Amino acid sequence: MDSAGTTTLEELEQSPDYDVQLESLNQWQIAWRRFKRHRMALIGSVLFLGMVAVGVFGPFFLPYDHTVIGAPDAKFNAGRPPSPAHLFGDTGRLHRDVLTLVVNGVRLSLLIGILASAMGAIIGTIVGGIAGYFGGWADTILMRIVDALLALPLLFVILVFSQFLGEGHASWWTMTLIFGAFGWLGIARLVRAVMLSLREEDYVDAARAAGVSDLRIIFRHLVPNSLSPIIVATTLGVAGVIIGEAFVSFLGFGVDPAQPTLGNILSGSLEFISQKNWWWAFFPGAAIVVIVLGINFMGDGLRDALDPRAKI
Amino acid sequence: MTDALAARERRAGVGEVLLDVRDLRTHFHVMDGTVKAVDGVSFSLRRGGRLALVGESGCGKSVTALSIMRLIETPPGEFAGGEIIFDGRDLLKLGGRDLREIRGGEIAMIFQEPMTSLNPVMTVGDQIAEAVLLHQGVKRKAADEVALQSLVDVGVPDPKRRLKQYPFELSGGMRQRIMIAMALSCNPKLIIADEPTTALDVTIQRQILELIKTIQERTGTALLLITHDLGVVAETVDDVAVMYAGRVVETGTVDDVLLNPRMPYTRGLLESIPSQAKKGQRLSAIKGVVPNPFRMPPGCKFEPRCPYAWEAGATEEPPLIELGPDRTARCWLYDRRYQDHLAQYDAHITNDSGGTTS
Repeated sequence: MDSAGTTTLEELEQSPDYDVQLESLNQWQIAWRRFKRHRMALIGSVLFLGMVAVGVFGPFFLPYDHTVIGAPDAKFNAGRPPSPAHLFGDTGRLHRDVLTLVVNGVRLSLLIGILASAMGAIIGTIVGGIAGYFGGWADTILMRIVDALLALPLLFVILVFSQFLGEGHASWWTMTLIFGAFGWLGIARLVRAVMLSLREEDYVDAARAAGVSDLRIIFRHLVPNSLSPIIVATTLGVAGVIIGEAFVSFLGFGVDPAQPTLGNILSGSLEFISQKNWWWAFFPGAAIVVIVLGINFMGDGLRDALDPRAKI
Repeated sequence: MTDALAARERRAGVGEVLLDVRDLRTHFHVMDGTVKAVDGVSFSLRRGGRLALVGESGCGKSVTALSIMRLIETPPGEFAGGEIIFDGRDLLKLGGRDLREIRGGEIAMIFQEPMTSLNPVMTVGDQIAEAVLLHQGVKRKAADEVALQSLVDVGVPDPKRRLKQYPFELSGGMRQRIMIAMALSCNPKLIIADEPTTALDVTIQRQILELIKTIQERTGTALLLITHDLGVVAETVDDVAVMYAGRVVETGTVDDVLLNPRMPYTRGLLESIPSQAKKGQRLSAIKGVVPNPFRMPPGCKFEPRCPYAWEAGATEEPPLIELGPDRTARCWLYDRRYQDHLAQYDAHITNDSGGTTS
């Protein structure tokens, strides 16, 4: 080898490069390749993204406005079945259009699900990252807090909180905050476990030797390395929050019915099930199933695609 | 001989002491007791000087390097004593921001394993620029320029494309060049290279050593090389400190130590290197094994394996005895009281080999 001290940029650019001639793919490109070959994941993504599209754009195409509520019809109390004017039928008592409710419900339920699980992912990553990287006292204290919160019957806590904060009917963002504030526990455990193994990597020592601070090592070096399990857990978390919100709203402790979510539409239908108003319960229920199924298929595909040990 | 002369001139030209390790003791408290991995190590390195710490696996050379960088986790590690004076400051007393400024900014380290020492999800450019941004207070664009320039300095082909690549796209030798580029990028006063070529194959080893040497000469930074390979030592540094069982047992210039070893352990190491001159002979090895860290011999740590040992070494540990300027050995042979033993030893080696080492 010639003296390295005398080479210049120009020479190096012209010198033959024997090291890598192939165009190599980074981990995201490889993951995308695997994901594309995963049929269930593709179906799941279509279902989920389709519902997202419905939630985002649907309300602009509807002839009715869900915020305009007419007076109760004194003569005809029961809901009316699907018809050309009301494709999903209309509800009992107030005669609201079910399609309008479902589309707006999808919008709000998805919004709550995505925001709450993103919030959970952020809190969980911070807590888990600090606990796993520093270990010792920080780890003990943070993880005992997680253990204690996990020991609480979460559903009842959420019911109590929604009562307390919303005085019976919470707004959608209070629900988001509540689910976000309690939804980070699993992610924190997951991230901690990943950190425990990653902090032993040589590149962590190399970064410390270069003068990089601990927090920067956690969030700039280690979190990107543990992104795959975080993404999978967060995706599946969206489904969990949507079901949880539906459950809480169904019990009547959730979002105010003036703001339709898939859960509170179902809650309203309960009273009219005995009058065979099936359309009122069926369509929001089906929307929940499609969203959750889509997310679960997609999460499964992501898990396989992002697994570094899986074959291409 | 001109090489040796040049080396001497260079040594005379280098500045005052930059790194002074005094009686460093790094211990580890583990389940079975305390391992005194480094127990009283002292050596010093001048500005622009080149020193190698040599020894077998487990002799404490890497722990010494990691102690200087303060990369020892405490607990289980503990700095049980000593000082590491770097540029007038005791590194063992620094913490937080001061320490981070020295790491990477004034002392840079090149690690043994280039395959795992780079973050797999950050581009090469980002990793080099990170250190520059941290230490030089420049804008991102200027940091990128520095990163590019340091890749040019270490002779990486097509450096502009390399900056955007991820480590997995590069070979081992290329990654070690990147590590060297990172070390260089902040113009440190000292580069610590911990077995920089051990994980590489022989042809690449040669290139990397040449590169480290060229860069050291051009930038005038001091070099502390940690290695078990005496061949590497001969080619790269001016001074040597031989370590055994957590101690420095012999120091001197490369020529003095390699051609005229004074401590029986160093002699044993040199005799165990295969060479053309010894073709057909049985390769000599040092008898026995490195002492168990939980049951160190009470006297000289090398005494149980030493072919020339007598009672003195079994009971009391010898100090580092000064043999001349910059020349020491930790052996009772050089104590005035045991001159007759030294005479026997000298006679023995001259009979034995007639200069196996030259």
